[in-house]
Amino acid sequence: MNRTSRHPMRRILASAVVLVVLVGVFVVKLVDIQVVRAQALNAKSQDARSQPVKVWGARGDIVDANGTVLADSVMRYDIVISPKQAELAVLERKQAKHPKQKVEVTTEELVAEIAPAAAELGPVVGLTGDQVVGVITSKLAEDPDSDYAFLAKQVDTTAYEAVKALDIAWVYAEKHPSRTYPNGAVGGNLLGFLQADDGTPLAGLELAEDQCLAGTDGEVSYLHSAADWVPIPGSEVVHKQAKDGGTLKLTIDADLQYYVQRVAEEQRRAVGADWATVTVMEVKTGRLLAIADVPTVDPNDPSATDAEDRGSRAFTAPFEPGSTFKALTAASVLDAGKATPVDQIIAPYRYLPPNGANINDSSYHDDERLTLTGVLVDSSNTGMSMFGERISDRQRYDDMLDFGLGEQTEVGFPEEAAGDLHGDPDDWDNQTKYATMFGQGLTTTAVQIASVYQTLANGGVRMPVTLVDGCTTADGETTSPPAQGTRVVSEQAADDTSAMLERVYAEGWLADQWEIPGYRVAAKTGTAQVAGPDGQYLPGYLVSVSGFAPADDPEFVVSVSFQNAVKMNSSAASAPVFQEVMSQVLKKYRTVPSGAPAPDLPAIW
Amino acid sequence: MSAVPAQSLPAPRRAPERPRWLRPAPEPGNGRAKPRLAYAIIAVAGVAVIVVAQLLLSIAITQGAYDIDHATMQQTTLDRQEQQLREDLDRVESPQYLAANAEALGMVPNSNPVLLRLSDGTVSGDPSAATGGAAASAPLVPNALIDGVPLVTEQPAGETPKGETAAGAVDEAGAEAPVEAQAPPPAGDGLPTPATH
Repeated sequence: MNRTSRHPMRRILASAVVLVVLVGVFVVKLVDIQVVRAQALNAKSQDARSQPVKVWGARGDIVDANGTVLADSVMRYDIVISPKQAELAVLERKQAKHPKQKVEVTTEELVAEIAPAAAELGPVVGLTGDQVVGVITSKLAEDPDSDYAFLAKQVDTTAYEAVKALDIAWVYAEKHPSRTYPNGAVGGNLLGFLQADDGTPLAGLELAEDQCLAGTDGEVSYLHSAADWVPIPGSEVVHKQAKDGGTLKLTIDADLQYYVQRVAEEQRRAVGADWATVTVMEVKTGRLLAIADVPTVDPNDPSATDAEDRGSRAFTAPFEPGSTFKALTAASVLDAGKATPVDQIIAPYRYLPPNGANINDSSYHDDERLTLTGVLVDSSNTGMSMFGERISDRQRYDDMLDFGLGEQTEVGFPEEAAGDLHGDPDDWDNQTKYATMFGQGLTTTAVQIASVYQTLANGGVRMPVTLVDGCTTADGETTSPPAQGTRVVSEQAADDTSAMLERVYAEGWLADQWEIPGYRVAAKTGTAQVAGPDGQYLPGYLVSVSGFAPADDPEFVVSVSFQNAVKMNSSAASAPVFQEVMSQVLKKYRTVPSGAPAPDLPAIW
Repeated sequence: MSAVPAQSLPAPRRAPERPRWLRPAPEPGNGRAKPRLAYAIIAVAGVAVIVVAQLLLSIAITQGAYDIDHATMQQTTLDRQEQQLREDLDRVESPQYLAANAEALGMVPNSNPVLLRLSDGTVSGDPSAATGGAAASAPLVPNALIDGVPLVTEQPAGETPKGETAAGAVDEAGAEAPVEAQAPPPAGDGLPTPATH
């Protein structure tokens, strides 16, 4: 019994050991393949059987307040040829004719053979047939194995379809996402543009809001059938998920923007100005409805415009605002309770305050008996100085900061200027202390001035300047800018300033030119000088008009500036534009006309 | 042997079973049931069915792959077409193109707003004829995309910018304009008001 039972036991033991060893070997190998080297092997197998394919993540659109597309992503195609394949095709055809001997293709034969195809291909991509042949022969002369040459870049779908229909073996197309701006130069200076070949944002909102707009390209690979490249089901591997960019919604209205740009450019040409900006802002929200910067860049073709004209000067070009700034000083004095609109002073031509400054008016006049209203109507520097000195420099400076001057607006436009309040009031010299009362010795941007008038029109509450309404990501999430206003001056001070500016509109020297029948308007002109990049004043003056309407219930601010209008170097150059733009804005938004006439305030006594 | 079960079972019950240990082994072949043919057939048929089903499924999936591929290609073509049409539409929708067409048809902008208040018939503003600038607006706000797109006046009658016939839109507008001018709304019985609620 012992013998018979022990023998099988030994056999079992032996086979068990063999089995365990065998299984052990398998397990080790399995772990090695499935776990240790899994990634490398997978990658290797994927490489061997499939190629990664790029999935484009489209760049987001930029739309205006009504959803009109201002910037749109489109697919363009680069037409690529393979000179080597073209030569090979000719070679093979010749070989077929003479199967016995070894053939070679001379350049003449090559040209003769590919000429018909080239003649068909050329016109489709905007070249002549000879040019196409030229590309091939020159590439082959450089490198006989040349396999890649651009024939045309970024052709549109029509040309792509036409090339495909020709079905030439050595021609193929590569996708190349591109950007179009269907409305051309409408808002071009705001939108900015991309670099043509690689899509890098270069300017404007394209640059500032790239985080919202940019899509992420993905990558997938899949196995495909050998014959016809049909993807094999279940073999798709997503290496990286493609993600489309978000849609950027602006506060701009494209129709109004077009109109404003058109009017501004027409007047710029008429008066021979270097450049002009027009800003339209909604009083109650601080939203920018239009910002015209002329000359304007057409983002479809940025190179057609001078480099210096491709930005938005409304944001980037600070200037001394001049007399439009007097409204701010007046509001500060009223807010401090140091004056009323009918307070009386005697304004001389030259005012020599005790601190040694020397203030002149722009043209000689005898002493005038003006009220604060009259000071604004006549735009008297001496009169404004007499009112401005009633409050401390520090207080005026603090008010300027509260009005949003001296720092970038909430928009954060690329290269946006902060403006310069000439440092701190402690650094102001005696002349600057007075000059800052009537808008000299400090700089602001056009948008900042529009924001000051928005504050005055909105009962002293400044709303954040908004150009971007929000960004809607591909997942449907929307971000919106904050819309919390801040009180800068008392409602009484703002309303009194508004009433005074109405008298400026009604009685000022441009009253005939900027009249808008049926509406009460508050406006102020300004003439100032602009410093160039080197700090020296540029030739000529910057003439401007800022104002709002309807004054009884302000809805819109319009601010117009023309730089160096050589044919008409005064605010008269800006006034017609102010009138036309404001009329259009009131008409477009169906603003109810003012009922009662503007309240009368005495300008003289 | 008895020590282990003693912990769980009473020993006396286990004791009588001991003789079973010494029972002779059953004769080989006695306990094994003879396999029946039916089982084999069922098993083989089952395997066959599974194989065929998998084959059919695989064929269906492959067919589906070709269908998908075909549909995807169709979609690509249609997407391209859609993009092309949208680009054309955006082009002709642009304000520059509208303005150029309006000017070509002899229209001028009127920047003088005149409003009529229906409640009391007050006209605010000074009604005056539009005096548009003689200068063409085209170069003022350029748009490189509409270069070479023909204006309505430059097209053969009855064709849209896309070249498709559109039932003579231009002719129609031209023919109806004088008719409207001849028939002003009757005045005297107050202002005409639209019948809306």
